[in-house]
Amino acid sequence: MEVLTPRSLGEALRIKAERPDAVPIQGGTDVMVELNFDRARPPALLNLNEVPELRGWSHENGMLRLGSGLTYTEAMALSERLRALAEASRTVGGPQIRNRGTIGGNLGTASPAGDALPPLLVYGAEVELAGPNGSRRLPLQEFLVGPKRNALAEDELIVAVYVRPLGSRQTFMKVGPRNAMVIAVVSLAMCVDEERNEIRVSFGSAGPVAGVVTAPLDEADDLPQRVAEAASPIDDVRGTARYRRHALQVLTSRALVRCLT
Amino acid sequence: MARLIRTEKEVEGRYTEQWVVVEEDAAIDQWPAGPRETVGRPVPRVDGYERARGQALFTADVALPGMLHAAVLRSPYARARVRRLDLSRAREADWVLGAIGPDDCDALTLEPGFHGEPVAAVAVDSPGRAREALELIDVDWEELEPLLDPEEAVRRNELHEEPRRYERGDADAAFADADVVVEAEYRTQTVLHNPLETHQSVCRWEGDTLEVYISTQFIWGVRDDIAESLDLPPDRIRVICNFMGGGFGAKNGAHAQTFIAIALASQTGRPVRCALSRREENLATGNRNSTIQRLRAGARSDGTLVALEGEFVNAVGWKGWSGPTYGPMEMLYACENVRTLTYGAKLNLPPNAAFRAPGFVEGTFGLECLLDELAGRLELDPLELRARNHADRDLADDRPYSSKNLLECYRRAEPHWARRDAVRARSEGPWRRGVGLASQIWYGGGGPPSYAWVRIGSDGRATVITAMQDIGTGTRTAMAQIAAEELGLPLDRVRVSLGDSSRGPYASISAGSSTTPSMGPAVRAAAADAARQVIEIAAQRYHLEERLLTMQGGKVVSSDGGSWPLEEVTGLLEDAQILGKGARGPNPTGMRVLTFGIQVADVAVDVETGEVRVERIAAIHDVGRVINPLGAQSQVEGGIIQGVGHTLSEERLVDPASGIVLTQSLDAYKLPTIADVPEIVVELLDIPDEHLTNLGSKGLGEPPIVPTAAAIVNAIRDATGADVRSLPVSRDEMLRALREARERERAAAPA
Ligand SMILES: Cc1cc2nc3c(=O)[nH]c(=O)nc-3n(C[C@H](O)[C@H](O)[C@H](O)COP(=O)(O)OP(=O)(O)OC[C@H]3O[C@@H](n4cnc5c(N)ncnc54)[C@H](O)[C@@H]3O)c2cc1C
Repeated sequence: MEVLTPRSLGEALRIKAERPDAVPIQGGTDVMVELNFDRARPPALLNLNEVPELRGWSHENGMLRLGSGLTYTEAMALSERLRALAEASRTVGGPQIRNRGTIGGNLGTASPAGDALPPLLVYGAEVELAGPNGSRRLPLQEFLVGPKRNALAEDELIVAVYVRPLGSRQTFMKVGPRNAMVIAVVSLAMCVDEERNEIRVSFGSAGPVAGVVTAPLDEADDLPQRVAEAASPIDDVRGTARYRRHALQVLTSRALVRCLT
Repeated sequence: MARLIRTEKEVEGRYTEQWVVVEEDAAIDQWPAGPRETVGRPVPRVDGYERARGQALFTADVALPGMLHAAVLRSPYARARVRRLDLSRAREADWVLGAIGPDDCDALTLEPGFHGEPVAAVAVDSPGRAREALELIDVDWEELEPLLDPEEAVRRNELHEEPRRYERGDADAAFADADVVVEAEYRTQTVLHNPLETHQSVCRWEGDTLEVYISTQFIWGVRDDIAESLDLPPDRIRVICNFMGGGFGAKNGAHAQTFIAIALASQTGRPVRCALSRREENLATGNRNSTIQRLRAGARSDGTLVALEGEFVNAVGWKGWSGPTYGPMEMLYACENVRTLTYGAKLNLPPNAAFRAPGFVEGTFGLECLLDELAGRLELDPLELRARNHADRDLADDRPYSSKNLLECYRRAEPHWARRDAVRARSEGPWRRGVGLASQIWYGGGGPPSYAWVRIGSDGRATVITAMQDIGTGTRTAMAQIAAEELGLPLDRVRVSLGDSSRGPYASISAGSSTTPSMGPAVRAAAADAARQVIEIAAQRYHLEERLLTMQGGKVVSSDGGSWPLEEVTGLLEDAQILGKGARGPNPTGMRVLTFGIQVADVAVDVETGEVRVERIAAIHDVGRVINPLGAQSQVEGGIIQGVGHTLSEERLVDPASGIVLTQSLDAYKLPTIADVPEIVVELLDIPDEHLTNLGSKGLGEPPIVPTAAAIVNAIRDATGADVRSLPVSRDEMLRALREARERERAAAPA
């Protein structure tokens, strides 16, 4: 297997255009699992760890730009600005996974259980994708098209995620079958958008893609019920559909207490 | 003089009679109770640095010149018939060096009875390529209908053995007379051993001798298994296991991987490694089988148990044995009238294997939860209820105990139990807190035969030689301590050489909490024999009376004042050596040798999400003399952590239609992580059993896992009023129990 290591975004995009079969790898915490379990044998890996444009975060026109290579450990330090994302990051894997795993990788995998997704969805995040003919921006909700499927074209890379800072009335919660290193049985992010006078909720592991429910601030009371109804969970080794619906309702009520009082 | 005796041998509750030869070990008196120079003091592992530096050689590290790697073709079905198995493409490929089927190896079959049963195997020069070579094996499968439901198996009489029936007294009459009767059905799930090191063997023919490197709990059992299966003289088999990455009961024999490696080594003339992947490990190497337990208890209003009854269904799987799920019910309490009926269902599921107190972990969960339900009905304190039914004598075998300090354990539990009002008061919001307890009974006396040698060189250093294994519990350290104590040597002047059947005498299995109680007395006897010789030599050299001399602090010391460094005495020998030998004596005849204890758990339950957190467990156990308090504490912590996993998150799941195992990876199978570990308080009574051997020590590997689940579930009841009756306490099960408790309350409330 070939490993291609570009030193700039331009070089990375050139390689990706020439070798669309090269699988991008950032933290590798999903890619290496696939290789290890023999579920994938890509002819080449495109190692993005040396591309400076993908690293870190910055302010840009009143928005926060999170490089696709932002690790969970780095995101945990953003709790002042993006509390829900920081809280979600804290629940991901163990320290090693949080040091390696990235937000961009979570988007690349697009699992319905991806823990970065609900916070980014309630922020109304936009994803920046770049290809040989320039870049485009897409609302995250449109980027996530199905379970483990996203809108990335085969010659494109995920460059960054843009979010509008929304104040501190936001939270993330997760229920798992044990206290650490778990994929969520259900997860939930909530934030209050004062400008638009609304509450947005997003939930994971309870449908083919992370779901979003929005309500005006004065209709908060119905939210637990509405979130449970919006979910379309299944039974699997981690939990039953019935339990997931119930837990979403409980988590929504608790998140409301945290965000509104 | 060698003495031939007939004695009773017990491994994990199974008794057999056997002849053993024991050396007349001139009756060595037990040491007085309490810490000695080395024994009874906390000692870090003698091999700690070796392990931490990665220098300890496990079977996983064995790489022999020219070694090939095996890959195993396993049944993808729970039940199937192989209509055609064609190895010709594999045999023709020049890079595939060995290919075997059921004709070449008895561990392979054309009629697999569970998902993962081995059917064929290949040997190639790398593990990855070996897996690729499996694709060259052509198989024509006929999938058959599997039997998966244990109750259905009982109805169809698909059993491993005749149902086991036990009765003492007259249970029916006693139930009829009881003031209160409680009954309930309990279920425990299938759980997996998951030792760090998977099952693996490396086999090589050296002339007419077979060398077997294996991750095992029983070097000599492996030797005997192979000798019997292959009809080889046992002494032509050399079994080696220097460092071992855990087994928990699943590695007591040679197992399929060894026979596959041997067959491929024979076919190719090369050393062959057969090492299971984690997924194979979690498929085919054994498990603690699930159980269904229908239990009934009858008591007088003062709490005296008058009758106990249990029907147990062990879902054994395709192979294996029906474990003593009934054990705690028959042994724990002084109840005159007991009846049990036990079935071992034969199912198209992976075979079970002994797993850390097999049967007793499951049976204690049912019995000890039922006892708390009874305490609730009687409005009696659960600790008091247990103390009132304390057995002073074993009723199952009608024998006295060799030693039993369970009431002292109960007394030591009181302060932990008394915290419960304070713990409950810390409930807040949806989090309810409570405290629960459960009692523990298990074997752990060990037994003969077991031998050790002690060699002292002219440098005044000692080596303990025995072909035992240290399965990770720290027995290497415990044996060094015992020899050091007896020889009056600092610990760093004693080494332990173990792990090789051709370099030491026969040694015990490391199962049934038996390594320390079986091996320790043999090591002490060998050290005493060596010490006697040192003293005899010193007495002659310095013209002193032997009875005045002892070995202390690295010296030979005379009670009339003189002392000589040991190396001065042994230095006389130049290249000659002092060789002591020792044998494990028999267990006390006519006595029941058992271990006892109690655990007290604090839990917090989120009554809205059903999340359960274990916050603290106090463990008080009576296992005789403690050799190494530090190692013992680790054993208790490990047992409790594993017990927390069994209680809250671990469950092997199979697809109910096909019998396919769904939880093969550690992603799907949830072992506890450090974030799930409660505060653990360990108290060991450390009272030597005066009837048991020259040490008075019992084993501790298993007792700590026995009561954990029941203590946690009883704490959940204390916190919430809900009766959990099924493990694991998933969030679903917790919410179900809470709903049931609410409905019961509603029905009981006056309209
Ligand atoms: C032990 C363990 C525990 C875990 N726990 C959690 C958890 O609690 N919650 C959770 O959500 N996840 C968890 N994960 C999954 C994983 O860590 C996350 O999904 C993580 O965000 C992946 O990031 P990464 O950088 O490692 O991605 P990688 O493995 O490098 O890549 C993931 C996918 O994204 C693609 N990709 C990566 N970068 C780009 C790019 N710039 N452009 C286009 N495509 C790209 C890759 O090709 C691949 O398909 C866990 C994984 C492990 C092994």
